[in-house]
Amino acid sequence: MAPTPLLNRLTDSNALSLGILGVGNIGMVHLKSAAAMPGVTVVAAADAVPENRERAERAGASRTYDDYATLLNSEDLDAAVVALPPFLHGEAVERAAEAGVDVFVEKPLARTTDEADELLETARKAGIAIGVDHTLRYQPDMAGVKAAYDEGSVGHVPYASITRLNDGPLGRPPVENAPPSWPLDADAVGGGSLLELGVHCFDVLEWLFGDLRVRDASMGQTLEIDVEDAATVLMEAPETGTTITLHCGSYQWEQLPEVNTRLRLEGVTGTISNQDHLPRNFYAGAAKSALSNVASRLTRDEPDVFGPTFYLQAHYDALADFCDAIREDEQPPVDGADGRRTLALAERAYELAAETDEAADEIDGLETPEVTL
Amino acid sequence: MSATDDATSATDDAMNGDPVRAAVVDATGRRGGWDSDIDARMAALESPVRDVLEPSLETLAAADRLTLVPDAHYPFHPSSGMVTDPAVIGSIVSRLERRTDADIAVAGASDERISVARTAEYLGYASLLERFGAEFVDLADESRTEDICTVDGSPVALSVPERLAESTVIVVPSLRPTENGPVAGAMRALAALVDSTADPERVPVAATRVIEPAVSVLDATTAYGGDPAAGNALFAGSASAVDAVASSLLGRSLETDAALKTARGDAGPVTVEGDGVDFERLRERIPDGELPPSDETHPAVSTAYRVYAAVAGDAVPPQLEGGR
Repeated sequence: MAPTPLLNRLTDSNALSLGILGVGNIGMVHLKSAAAMPGVTVVAAADAVPENRERAERAGASRTYDDYATLLNSEDLDAAVVALPPFLHGEAVERAAEAGVDVFVEKPLARTTDEADELLETARKAGIAIGVDHTLRYQPDMAGVKAAYDEGSVGHVPYASITRLNDGPLGRPPVENAPPSWPLDADAVGGGSLLELGVHCFDVLEWLFGDLRVRDASMGQTLEIDVEDAATVLMEAPETGTTITLHCGSYQWEQLPEVNTRLRLEGVTGTISNQDHLPRNFYAGAAKSALSNVASRLTRDEPDVFGPTFYLQAHYDALADFCDAIREDEQPPVDGADGRRTLALAERAYELAAETDEAADEIDGLETPEVTL
Repeated sequence: MSATDDATSATDDAMNGDPVRAAVVDATGRRGGWDSDIDARMAALESPVRDVLEPSLETLAAADRLTLVPDAHYPFHPSSGMVTDPAVIGSIVSRLERRTDADIAVAGASDERISVARTAEYLGYASLLERFGAEFVDLADESRTEDICTVDGSPVALSVPERLAESTVIVVPSLRPTENGPVAGAMRALAALVDSTADPERVPVAATRVIEPAVSVLDATTAYGGDPAAGNALFAGSASAVDAVASSLLGRSLETDAALKTARGDAGPVTVEGDGVDFERLRERIPDGELPPSDETHPAVSTAYRVYAAVAGDAVPPQLEGGR
């Protein structure tokens, strides 16, 4: 199929028609974001799970499908959100390319850089744009860190650290839902915490410090699972002369609205911490944001969608930026190359961790235990 | 020492009148309250497991088939105290293999949330049991036998996995509360494996009477009571006595646990025997809290958010939809 010029695909009303492929947890966030977005119409959603389709209909999807390929064949879309498990990203982008539909792909972009290359090549040939949902840089705390850093507020930063922890697919007590098995299946997702959480960290670190080089890494499993649920990566940023450590894991119980995301930049004259750019009390911050939105309604201004919940607002802002770029026929601000770059860093970390394990085995003459319960 | 002071005579199960045996698990030099090396944990458990099982060995040695029932309801990390440490099961299996000729199985049951095979794999049971001649079995796949038991004068019908009805059972609960507050314990671990439409507070009693576990071993190496705490102790005895000890350690009153109150009946206070276990100090150290709060949004919060969103023109996050 010949590439279709972006602007020609927009509807007469200039509203962007959007389809949501996959309306599980994050897909529903995208659907609700899009439904609240000026100049965007959610025309359809697809999901194999009937309950998810029903939720999507209640949330504003005009039509629903049990198969995303059928949706892409049946609807006249400008863009689609790919919120499917990673093992379906490549195929979904291929189907979208056949339909000439731009895509906003949930992270990780693919399971491997090879798969990402295929996906990007498919998109290039079809002339469709690819955006990737790397949202940390959209969070107000991360934006605050970047602003302070770029203002030179602590001088040279020789060392930075980032930590992102949650409880992954298994969750915490009390158990309320059956945990999906695919997030812990290496074939389905390509990796564990590093691909689930670490890629977000890589993205925000390169946004801050420029290109990164991975120097060493270690992977761990606290349960006998197929993928790592803890990853630690040592990096350097040549452009800024910064040594960086990253730790991410899905082993820690999380109690929303609290989220364990810590970024610290250790500068010559002091520290920049993301914690200094968050409301001291989540609920007080949420109430303030809610009041601001109510006041905006009275003055007929647009509200900050998901205003009281900053991490959901970041997803809204990321999708809104993608939609603006598509509307303006511009490259998405976080594009396929950015998504691939985070995968390349993750793969290098896996390689180095494996080399370290092999070296340790040679020294010990024993196999390194994979599980440390 | 007395672990409970609000029960009187009469026994509910065979060992109700016997004391609970306690043994300390040597954690000298252990950093952070947890040793990530399962072999090291099993080595530290060898002596205490031997001590607490000793009075039951004659009964256990006479069995053709032994079934261990750990708290493996979900793959929470054992250092949280929310499940039985597989090292305790490994150590018990090791001891039983040395002292009995019985076929040994470790049992759990799949439920609507997760298959027990998956839980067992994540917790490391598959690789652990490969060391022994034991197997992990899913009781949800097993044939069942129907039974009726009288509790407080009322009949309670149960559907019991044949393996539990026909083999000699050792139940090995963790030291944690249930979602509703009372201690999870041995009796509720057994109740989770039977089917019954009876009053939920009667089922643990009935299940325990029908299955008649030979001994219950409370894994108090790590407890969960709102936070984890290293308990470094094992307690063994009858199901209800061990549950009474667990209840006391977690700061629960027997009076508020209908199942335990019924099971204990008029049995007297539980006596805890064993060298080196400072029960009162342990009770002080173990927190008496609950499970973490649910992520499910309170209906009032969902309603308030929907009102706000309607007024402000904001979207309602999926997590706050309140089941709509």
